[in-house]
Amino acid sequence: MIAFKYTKTDGAEYLSHLDLLRHINCTLRRAGIAVNYSQGFNKHARIFMSNPLGTGIKSVAEFCTVDTFFEGDFGAAFNANSPKGIKCVEWYYTQTNPNFAFNTEQCYYRVKGLNPFNCDEILQKQSIILTDSRGREVDIRPRIYAIECKDDGVYFWAGCNEKNLRPELLASYLCSLYGGTVGEIIKLDAKVLK
Amino acid sequence: MTINLDDIKDLLLKSEKPARYTGGEFGMPELKENSACNFCLCFPDLYEVGMSNLGIKIVAESISRRGYFADFCFTPWKDFGDGLKERGVPLYSLGLKKPLAEFDILGFSLQFELCYTNVLYMLDLAGIPLLRKDRVGKKYPLIAFGGPCAVNPEPLAEIADIVFIGDGESTDAEVCDLYAKYGSSQEFFERASKIEGVYIPAFTQVKYAKDGHICGFEGITRVKKAIAFDLENAPFPKTFAVANIESVHDRAVIEVMRGCYRGCRFCQAGFIYRPVRKKSVKTLTEQACNLIKNTGFDEVSMNSLSTGDYKHLRELIKSLRGSLPKEVTLALPSLRVDSFDGEIAQDARRISLTFAPEAGSQRLRDVINKDITEDEIIKAAESAFDVGYSAVKLYFMMGLPTETDEDLKAMSRIVGLIKGAYAKQKRGKPLRISLSVSTFIPKPFTPFQWERQCSLQEAEQKQEVLKKHLFIKGVSLSWSDYFTAKLEAVLARGDRRLNKVIISAYQKGCKFDGWTKELNKKAWQEAFDECGIDMDYYTREWGEDEILPWDLIDISVSKKFLLNERHKAYSGDVTGSCQTGCKGCGMQANCPAAKGDL
Repeated sequence: MIAFKYTKTDGAEYLSHLDLLRHINCTLRRAGIAVNYSQGFNKHARIFMSNPLGTGIKSVAEFCTVDTFFEGDFGAAFNANSPKGIKCVEWYYTQTNPNFAFNTEQCYYRVKGLNPFNCDEILQKQSIILTDSRGREVDIRPRIYAIECKDDGVYFWAGCNEKNLRPELLASYLCSLYGGTVGEIIKLDAKVLK
Repeated sequence: MTINLDDIKDLLLKSEKPARYTGGEFGMPELKENSACNFCLCFPDLYEVGMSNLGIKIVAESISRRGYFADFCFTPWKDFGDGLKERGVPLYSLGLKKPLAEFDILGFSLQFELCYTNVLYMLDLAGIPLLRKDRVGKKYPLIAFGGPCAVNPEPLAEIADIVFIGDGESTDAEVCDLYAKYGSSQEFFERASKIEGVYIPAFTQVKYAKDGHICGFEGITRVKKAIAFDLENAPFPKTFAVANIESVHDRAVIEVMRGCYRGCRFCQAGFIYRPVRKKSVKTLTEQACNLIKNTGFDEVSMNSLSTGDYKHLRELIKSLRGSLPKEVTLALPSLRVDSFDGEIAQDARRISLTFAPEAGSQRLRDVINKDITEDEIIKAAESAFDVGYSAVKLYFMMGLPTETDEDLKAMSRIVGLIKGAYAKQKRGKPLRISLSVSTFIPKPFTPFQWERQCSLQEAEQKQEVLKKHLFIKGVSLSWSDYFTAKLEAVLARGDRRLNKVIISAYQKGCKFDGWTKELNKKAWQEAFDECGIDMDYYTREWGEDEILPWDLIDISVSKKFLLNERHKAYSGDVTGSCQTGCKGCGMQANCPAAKGDL
């Protein structure tokens, strides 16, 4: 198996998760990277993605595992055949599937356009109850692990998976408190359980 | 000027599928701005529909081979389109993100009459005046139309600057050459009008008699369609842009043949694409391999109007299977009942198979020259069941000339025979049959171009007959909406008086008329009423000696032949396929089949 980290930028941030999978599949075929198929009734290429990213959010830290016996330079082969914006930045062989979708605990984002603020104010709050996109009330405070204002934007570590915090939800909340606009949101890193 | 996507990010994020509007597709050629002629291929339907269209890709290839560039634009869905309008952002091309108004030529591909209002929507969003007279002398792009519906360009004649009739491989690029030399000048139009397959509506005036019928044409009165005789060496792309979002036909497509030998009397494509031209197995294999290698698709579709009639089909399948990676499947989307057999259909997903008997009774199939028998239908079904199919879709038409209730009832007999054939298989899984019945639409350049379309009352009465006889267990029955079919018939056989109706309907909010939920019948009816045009005028039976709005277009099939075919239909005479001998449609001098090259 090959696990790799890739980008979702330059327009690719507007792709849905399923279309992203479709593009990775096509890229692998174009690159001549033979992927093993499932053996069920509906055979499909064994490609395992990390959790879906919201549409419009850029990323330089998406993860994927491909079940393949490919032995060449995976990154070069992938990048020569991938759409602009979907580029492999790191890759390695692995015996077992790292299961990025299940094992990613936290994600690191940067939001541009927000006014600077005192980050301690947020971290000192016991709870922050917001209504999410599905209309459910949710306390997002336990899902914020760190937050920092820098010259080029607000950086934060947010929960992923079962404790997922959508970065645009937090960004809108910060915008409502401190002003500014929600500009570019980019995922920069992720913590994956080994 | 280019549109910066970051400036419309909020709009993109509010849209249903933003990747429709962002461009940057893998395989889209690098475009160079400011070439001598900047062409934008516009497709008046959604991105996922247009990205599946082979025609625009071929035209783009032919234009780029001449050193010009061809960008693309598709109709935005209303959420994005209306958002652009609210923000004052003009509609832009996908490659260069350049406003459409800044191109030299906008070429619209007309695949379907009910997309005409989408053309207007795109022009409006681009800030381009809809009527040609409002653009004359101003710096706007030339508005060109092409594609199958352009064979009767009259309903859009007051909007168009240029219409491409017939195959676009060479004509579009020739017009670009002229534009590069003369710009949008009188000289350009005069020279363009001399190119075979180019119609300049401004050079033709239509004369009407007191009774409202057309009594003649003045100016340029005959325009011959362009034919790409050498399909084998015609421009064909080595790669397709892989759509950002899954398109309706998300696969590689090769064009096995152009044209059809059969001559079904209702089928416009069967006449306007004559003569039949085909590619060699070697070329097709090479083109399929290129496409698969460059796109990464896992399916190749062998397209034509009737791929089963391709003489070397088995050889082609063998060659493709031997040359393509093993995981690539082959699709045969247009197999006639009489050319279907299990062996060649094995690659397809064996779930549902579509047959189009078109009429229930043999008598009516003879009238429409469908030239297939009940035995052939059953044999094909048995063949399909043998290789594992368990669902069948059947396409029929109602309202065909000479049709009686007995013909409609006969559909149930076919269903019964197919069920019987499946029962012999003794499979546990029940057979599913979907029966889709559409309303007959008389189209220009067919032997039925003079026919009347049935009225709403007749259509309802026919639907009652269907309900009574085809509500059978395991059979799902559906039929097309009558008004949709009527509107399509009116626009298909329309004349210049319809320009104002289409514009009025658009101004009342009509767009995406081909989408059942979007069709605003009331607005269309009001548009017709306000313009003083009776829809029934266009759905009536037309006199055989009447001048037809599309008579100035020479499609190379003689009117005499079409008329003779009409008369044969009424006497139930089958003409049969060109493969059984030349039928003298008027193209004999240029037809490979007429010379024995099948």
